[in-house]
Amino acid sequence: MNQDKYLTVSAVTKYLKFKFDTDEHLRTVFLKGEISNFKAHTTGHFYFSLKDEGSKINAIMFSTNAKKINFSPSEGMKVLVVGRISVYEATGGYQIYVEKMEQDGLGNLYIAFEKLKQDLAKEGLFDAAHKKTIPKIPMRIGIVTAPTGAAIKDILSTIKRRFPICETILFPALVQGENAASDIANKIDMAANYEIDTLIVGRGGGSIEDLWPFNEEIVARAIYHSKVPVISAVGHEIDYTISDFVSDLRAPTPTGAAEIAVPNMIDLVKHIEQLKIRLKESILKKVNYNKLYLDSLKNSYVIKTPMIMYENKKQKLDLIETKINTLIIHKLETSKQLFEHLKKNHILKNPQEIFEPKAIILKQIIEKLELLNPLGILKRGYTLTYQNNHIIKSISDIKEDSIEIRLYDGTVKAKVVEKEKK
Amino acid sequence: MAEKEQKFEDKIKELETIINELENGTSDLEDSINKYTKAMKLVNECDEKLKSIEEQVNKIILENGEITDFEIEE
Repeated sequence: MNQDKYLTVSAVTKYLKFKFDTDEHLRTVFLKGEISNFKAHTTGHFYFSLKDEGSKINAIMFSTNAKKINFSPSEGMKVLVVGRISVYEATGGYQIYVEKMEQDGLGNLYIAFEKLKQDLAKEGLFDAAHKKTIPKIPMRIGIVTAPTGAAIKDILSTIKRRFPICETILFPALVQGENAASDIANKIDMAANYEIDTLIVGRGGGSIEDLWPFNEEIVARAIYHSKVPVISAVGHEIDYTISDFVSDLRAPTPTGAAEIAVPNMIDLVKHIEQLKIRLKESILKKVNYNKLYLDSLKNSYVIKTPMIMYENKKQKLDLIETKINTLIIHKLETSKQLFEHLKKNHILKNPQEIFEPKAIILKQIIEKLELLNPLGILKRGYTLTYQNNHIIKSISDIKEDSIEIRLYDGTVKAKVVEKEKK
Repeated sequence: MAEKEQKFEDKIKELETIINELENGTSDLEDSINKYTKAMKLVNECDEKLKSIEEQVNKIILENGEITDFEIEE
């Protein structure tokens, strides 16, 4: 049997590889598909397959290219790749050597992101006026993130390092996938019931799709309505999400969020020490000032020579006393003079000069009165006739027979015998 | 407890306010001493809080809302 017409496996593979490599359509291929069987090797190379509904192609991305991509490829991710297709001789399989890879559908995501951002901005969800102040010294921090992974680890270790007396409460949430957004929103709402000072909401780095829950409206509104101040910490420094815009403060990373959220214990202790010093100095200053003031009062002229106050008053008293004395003496003097003057009065010296003429007049008046006394007339022989104690002047005054006749030295009761009118 | 304890941050703020008043104020000696006494009380409370460092245990909220200790998986 002539064996010359039989080719070796290596030879035919080499031939096929030659055919692939010289085909210009295979030199630069633009390919889209879904990642499967993804493996990132320790060398940094990516090994995976790209597939669609009907077919599948193996792919390799060497570390020099792999390290340039800004997302973490994962199972099922839709990607756009550029590379060349060739044969790997050792396995005899053809594969695509990927040079560039980006996520498919990013254009749509970007549009959705921009639209929601604009809508919420218009509604006022990002307004600075609505931002709450982040407490400087929180005693209880809430964290909404995945219970595993770098983010929670970084946050907790940073808080422990800086401010170990702070309590931390984790509200574990799904941070990627379909249900993540509603779960995150739910946990943000829940945190309101645990007397939390500051809430950190976030996750570690990932592809834009991984971070997508933080671009969902439901999460944005939960952050907006949160009564607890929210610090967002999504992905890396370069990643901006809707959550970052609506939160009260954006941190570049989860570690950054923890650094912003709590003070450094050492700084705080120093600050309190300084306050203590200031407090003591200020009160000492006050006390010293008052002491000096008191001293100045003690040294004042009046306090040092209290007799001055007394002497002033004494002098005034003396003056008043003198005045009173003068007044009294003057009064006495005047009275004495008046008395002397009266003593020299002629009438007072010769009072008989007043009553001697008066006595003569009195004697004359008495003599006149004697003449007028009706009893004097009776002495001369006249009588008075009364009836019922009324004097009878006329004959017609006599009403009955009994009458009374008064004489100089007695009374006669008599009876009328006869009346004869003249 | 009838009254909720004043927050640490509020204590520091009140302390700063009192010190500013003492430094710049014209309050009389008696008032100043009252303020000083109050401030010293706050300082001691803050000191005590900071010095009683018992490291806080991390907590986690379970699905049913209960709080329990949380240890990070290494």
